[in-house]
Amino acid sequence: MAKTVMIVDDSASLRQVVGIALRSAGYDVIEGCDGKDALSKLTGQKVHLVISDVNMPNMDGITFVKNLKQIPAYKFTPVIMLTTESQEGKKQEGQSAGAKAWVVKPFQPAQMLAAVSKLVMP
Amino acid sequence: MEFDQALQTFIMESRELLEAMEESLLGLESSPDDPDSPDNRDAIGAIFRSAHTIKGSGGLFGLDGIVAFTHVVENVLDRVRGGEVPVDGDLVALLLSCRDHIGMLVEQIAVDAAAQPDKETEATGIMLLNQLKAYQAGAKGTAPAVTGARVQSQAPVITTLPSGGTVESDNWHISLRFSHDVLRNGMDPLAFIRYLDNMGKIVHVVTLPDAMPLVPDMDPESCYLGFEIDFHGDNVGKATIEGVFEFVRDDCTLRILPPHSRIEEYIQLINELSEDKIRLGDLLVNSGSLTRKELDEALCLQALSAESCREKSPTQDICQLGEILVKQGMVQPELVDAALGKQKVAKENKVQESKLIRIQADKLDQLINLVGEMVIAGAATSLLAQRTRDPALHEATSTLSRLVEEIRDSALQLRMVQIGETFSRFNRVVRDVSKEIGKEIGLSIGGAETELDKSVVEKIGDPLMHLVRNSMDHGIEKAEIRRQRGKPAKGTVHLNAYHESGSIVVEVGDDGGGLNRDRILAKALEKGLVTANQTLSDQDVYGLIFEAGFSTAEAVTNLSGRGVGMDVVRRNIEALRGTVEIDSREGAGATVRIRLPLTLAIIDGFLLGVGSASYVVPLDMVMECIELDDAERQETRESNYINLRGTVLPFIRLRDQFRELGKAGRRENIVVVQYAGQKAGLVVDELMGEFQTVIKPLGKLFGNLKGVSGSTILGSGEVALILDVPALIQRAVSKEAQLLAYGL
Amino acid sequence: MTISIEASNGVCHARVAGEMTIYHAAEMKGELLPCIDCGAEVEIDLSEVSEMDTAGFQLLLLAKREAAKAGKSLRLVAHSPATLEVLDLFNMASYFGDPVMMPRAVH
Repeated sequence: MAKTVMIVDDSASLRQVVGIALRSAGYDVIEGCDGKDALSKLTGQKVHLVISDVNMPNMDGITFVKNLKQIPAYKFTPVIMLTTESQEGKKQEGQSAGAKAWVVKPFQPAQMLAAVSKLVMP
Repeated sequence: MEFDQALQTFIMESRELLEAMEESLLGLESSPDDPDSPDNRDAIGAIFRSAHTIKGSGGLFGLDGIVAFTHVVENVLDRVRGGEVPVDGDLVALLLSCRDHIGMLVEQIAVDAAAQPDKETEATGIMLLNQLKAYQAGAKGTAPAVTGARVQSQAPVITTLPSGGTVESDNWHISLRFSHDVLRNGMDPLAFIRYLDNMGKIVHVVTLPDAMPLVPDMDPESCYLGFEIDFHGDNVGKATIEGVFEFVRDDCTLRILPPHSRIEEYIQLINELSEDKIRLGDLLVNSGSLTRKELDEALCLQALSAESCREKSPTQDICQLGEILVKQGMVQPELVDAALGKQKVAKENKVQESKLIRIQADKLDQLINLVGEMVIAGAATSLLAQRTRDPALHEATSTLSRLVEEIRDSALQLRMVQIGETFSRFNRVVRDVSKEIGKEIGLSIGGAETELDKSVVEKIGDPLMHLVRNSMDHGIEKAEIRRQRGKPAKGTVHLNAYHESGSIVVEVGDDGGGLNRDRILAKALEKGLVTANQTLSDQDVYGLIFEAGFSTAEAVTNLSGRGVGMDVVRRNIEALRGTVEIDSREGAGATVRIRLPLTLAIIDGFLLGVGSASYVVPLDMVMECIELDDAERQETRESNYINLRGTVLPFIRLRDQFRELGKAGRRENIVVVQYAGQKAGLVVDELMGEFQTVIKPLGKLFGNLKGVSGSTILGSGEVALILDVPALIQRAVSKEAQLLAYGL
Repeated sequence: MTISIEASNGVCHARVAGEMTIYHAAEMKGELLPCIDCGAEVEIDLSEVSEMDTAGFQLLLLAKREAAKAGKSLRLVAHSPATLEVLDLFNMASYFGDPVMMPRAVH
């Protein structure tokens, strides 16, 4: 059974590239364009991993993760936070919100794939 | 300005590195059979480092061309070092070409820092890069394939490495203890172990459930498990393995111990590390045997222990980092020992390094010149002191001249270099030429530690090159002929050097066919170099090949193509005040012997007086002095030889030789000189004793003057001629031989 | 996740269906452990387990240990591919000592 990964980022092209990489590795991918949109799409279905950007309109990544962890179905879902080198503080904040993994932007699709498969094999 | 200087340093450094690279490559080629021998691994390491350093420094100067090209070379070398690419003749040849190309790029930068490589160089670069592609990591055949299916066997898998030994123990050992929270954080140990298994091969896992508490205390969302994992991965380093657990690094205790085979490798890496970082932790981290995180952790522990120590007893030593690392199971004790050893060596080298100074050659030349002037001025002072007949002054000047002599010797010593470096350059030449002409030829080197003046070393390269090529082209026979003659198929060119009575002798020998006396003689007759009725010794005949315009039919092939003849060799050697001769045995080989003065600047001379003029001969060549009594003077008036203790000693009257007018002195002396095994006498009026002689070359005008090799200035300001002893001996000996031939 | 328990001839048959993951760990602990008390032998049927994580696996370990403490035998039977993979990866099939059968159904 394919594992499901959700990618939440306001950049459509980023979602697209990550989506292609993950799908071709055998994951099912659902997308959210910001925290709010993502929450609205999480209706209790099984999601094995969430990838989320920090800076997004409507609802930022930190708030999104905090909300996500309140939903029983996603309480233990691992979250990869997308940070940049300069956002060391955001990384800490994300970790205490419950996003224990991170990938630093800019990244290559292969790097993302490696990070994802450390947490969930396809 | 500073940048330019740094660039010069880079260029010099690169030349040295390239030279080292070449040497190692050639070493590798000569014994490619065992790629795992320590020598070869050293060589590969050295080659890699050379490329690596050039690339690294080149980047600092923005020399993108060099960086880009060297990067690819380094890549391939890295794979060679990792054992992924086998070493063979083709690869070494390609790497040698790459080395040459880098050298070319560096030299172009040396001419003009902003230079772009010319078309030809660029084309070479592209061609080489194409060839390198075959060795690059592009062919991912070795990378572990990601497959869903896994074959599980309970017994540990025994993997066989290419080296042939079974290496059951050739596994990484990973020890994992997860914190209770790891599952709640969404991190599943299973996932990481799965990922690890995809990266290489998990050989064995032991799951440790012992930490699980009693039922009431057991929180089903907590993790109580620990794992001991034996892992086998090709091309996997400690940092890569640590990377797998990156996201749970704070949620687990992780210890990674390298396979036993790796320990050796790490020890080697530690030894190879550059010496600018010599802290224990840095050494281990740079070798890859310790990760940065582990080091931080250990340093933290050290700080803690230091604190607690201070509280308990201020006298107690704080824990050493090495001890902590071993105790924590972060690295094996062997590695800590290796790093500590390296630390010691590095410290010692630092001290050594500071003892060496790089100075510019022209500064040294200037010093030698000044010392030369000081010698002359010193001689003048001594002379004046002698005239005053003031004993105190006399004593002072003699102390002074002794010191001057010591300064002279030390100054000259500064310029002395070993000939070995010049010799070892011929490894490449012999290798290349033997490939080119299709003969199997090896080079043997003797007397590499023999020292001679740097300026001589610089000028001797070309003549040697010519002689070595000549030996290879014409001396050494084709393999079939060698076999017929009962010699090993592989020919040998021999380079040798040694000191002999004030000269340095450099020999270029081969075990080839030797010179053909008859053919040389025939050719010389044809060219009109000799006449039919001349009696010639073997030496004389062999010497003919150094005559201008001489070449036997066979010798035409290659040398004429190069536009250089043996006469040029002789001219070059003679320009250095040296001589050249040939020994040959038909069928057994020939040896060309070059004799050169040890130094070109200052010599210990022996001052002679003839009439009003003074002459100097090098003291090393003087054997003895004999006073001629009246009877003997009468006797020798008409002849040109005397009976010296039963042997015939030919001599030359310098008075006649230099048409010295004026009355002959009351006494005459014979100075017996020796050179290259031959003796002759020089008849002079006066023996004036030892004299430090600063050699001043004669102008071009006197280039053809026979019997004189230079001049010097005496303390009195007068000029004295330095006699060309080899030429004079030759003259005396041949004159005598002629007389004998005419039956006189 | 559902666990259906049936006892017959002193053997307690427990059949786990669905996910054996951390989301259901607390629930599972509460249902699996009492099984040990309800028969002289315990047999856990894993054929319907679609997914198992470390938390789920840990509960099997706990059950095995508790059964041994009580002097009872606990068997895992009819491993589904998902459970088999975990036992394989952790190299724990021999710990449970069960004949590992090939799964009946391919998922």
